[in-house]
Amino acid sequence: MTANGWFQIFLVIAVVFVITKPLGIFMARVFSREKTFLDPVLRPLEKLVYRLSGVDENHEMRWTEYAISKMLFSAVSMVLLYLIQRTQQWLPLNPQKLANVPQALAFNTAASFTTNTNWQNYSGEVVMSYLTQMAGLAYHNFTSAAAGIALAIAVIRGISRKETDKLGNFWVDFTRCCLWVLLPICLVGALALVSQGVVQNLKPYTTATLTEPQTVQVTGADGKTTTQVVREQLIAQGPVASQEVIKELGTNGGGFFGANSAHPFENPTPLTNFLELVLILAIASGLTYTLGRMTGSPRHGWAIWAAMVVLFVMGVSTAYWAEAKGNPLLAGADQHSSTMQSGGNMEGKEVRFGIANSALFATVTTDTSCGAVNSAHDSFTPLGGMVPLINIMLGEVVFGGVGSGLYGVVVFVILAVFIAGLMVGRTPEYLGKKIESYDVQMAMLSILIMTFVILGLSAVASVRPFGTSSISNPGPHGLSQILYVYTSSVGNNGSAFGGLNTNTMWYNTSGAAAMLLGRFFMVIPVLAIAGNLAKKKIAPESAGTFPVTGALFSTLLVSTILIVSALTFFPALSLGPILEHLLMLAGKAF
Amino acid sequence: MLDIIFIAATALFFALAILYVRACEGLRKNKL
Repeated sequence: MTANGWFQIFLVIAVVFVITKPLGIFMARVFSREKTFLDPVLRPLEKLVYRLSGVDENHEMRWTEYAISKMLFSAVSMVLLYLIQRTQQWLPLNPQKLANVPQALAFNTAASFTTNTNWQNYSGEVVMSYLTQMAGLAYHNFTSAAAGIALAIAVIRGISRKETDKLGNFWVDFTRCCLWVLLPICLVGALALVSQGVVQNLKPYTTATLTEPQTVQVTGADGKTTTQVVREQLIAQGPVASQEVIKELGTNGGGFFGANSAHPFENPTPLTNFLELVLILAIASGLTYTLGRMTGSPRHGWAIWAAMVVLFVMGVSTAYWAEAKGNPLLAGADQHSSTMQSGGNMEGKEVRFGIANSALFATVTTDTSCGAVNSAHDSFTPLGGMVPLINIMLGEVVFGGVGSGLYGVVVFVILAVFIAGLMVGRTPEYLGKKIESYDVQMAMLSILIMTFVILGLSAVASVRPFGTSSISNPGPHGLSQILYVYTSSVGNNGSAFGGLNTNTMWYNTSGAAAMLLGRFFMVIPVLAIAGNLAKKKIAPESAGTFPVTGALFSTLLVSTILIVSALTFFPALSLGPILEHLLMLAGKAF
Repeated sequence: MLDIIFIAATALFFALAILYVRACEGLRKNKL
């Protein structure tokens, strides 16, 4: 570990801290329909959208109507994306004449982008046409992010409003999120990325002649190996910058290229790496302040933010330490950091990013539900690779996905105040609202669905041939690979551990089911809590009220998140990365 | 054939999700 590495990590935290309040205030104003500096340009456009779509912007919805609107929107969007993929060879903007996407892969991808997961069982540059990338995938990057933020705003309204059953209007929140929050930031962000060398064009791929022809061994379908001389390279390109910026800002994570943010056309410089990290964290961090402002308790928002930062620092420190330490089995190889090399475990990492920025990116992308990667998590040391896995298992509430992180942490807040209430023998309260059995039941339903699907599908895939035949490294590492697939899918993260062939009928369909259940069956109980809270009166604070604004609350929140996660997933982790670490110390690698 | 199965599965999932919304609301009404 180096001072420079730590400086870069804390610089990201510092910048995120600085933008949290202004962005939080801006989003609170947007969703409270207060005046903003963008109104003169965007308000006429918003009105036009409502007129064309027949939306009554003054209509307020109960939680059930809000949830069903979201379901219907997602259902139609998912079918459309499926159809675009299945017909892309006959549609325009396909200069490489790419074939239609196979059915199971198209189904997985449609579920993946609809749920903001962006799990990719393909490499974009050889499977998806420009039209599919733009009208199918990038479109979903905007809409799934906007839908997530809209749901978080509905939950905030449930907490802040009293004696009403209305949570706002899904279509209005969705539209305002796209117009006021996502599009303006993406417009500026895409130009910033282009200035650094991220490509943005609609050209066919370029064929370049190699200055030094390469001799390579190629194994054919018949298993025979032949020697070939490669003289040309096909350089993939396309509308990358416009997709890259929303990929990070919307915590989507699906790369234009298979190599994702390790590809020089997606993430060419240290500055773009830094910008991408900040973009991933920006909205989720800002929403904590939006929660505080809209509920009239900014200190509550900061208390949640502080709990998130504590968990974030724990994760990034562990990953950085584990990767910088290197692999003890590579005795004889120089793994020390110096002016000439990063040192540590550099397998699967870009030399230009080194250990610190790889560990940081892995932590950020899995704390949030982004899933973009600039290194191969599969190549991390066992403990370093366990950090991304645990981050997702925590429920991605360390900042979390845009919207989903906030409504996810609200579930843990409710559990935390419930536990605090039990400890002191009083009815638990959250910002003046009494937490009753229905609220706790819904919170538990929301948490249990994640556990049930991850562990259930991992168990099936670990013992059946259709699951185990995809493993590249049998043993504890193979279990980690399977566990990561379903954890990433249910958590709607989308990052891959790699090493596991998931483009099979089993993984495509079970992965799609995991993503859909993880997104929709988790959020429905949370909206039910919001609908129930909105109806309640706000009780005045008394001496027995548990404060949700200080260090004690942040500590309790961190403990609740860790305990729930540890109790649930520790047995599986002990058979995967922990066992692999112990075996590595004993001299056995996987 | 697979196309029809996948589109039908999508429709079925979201129909179940809407039923889940109703069930959560029904549970609230029964409890309160």
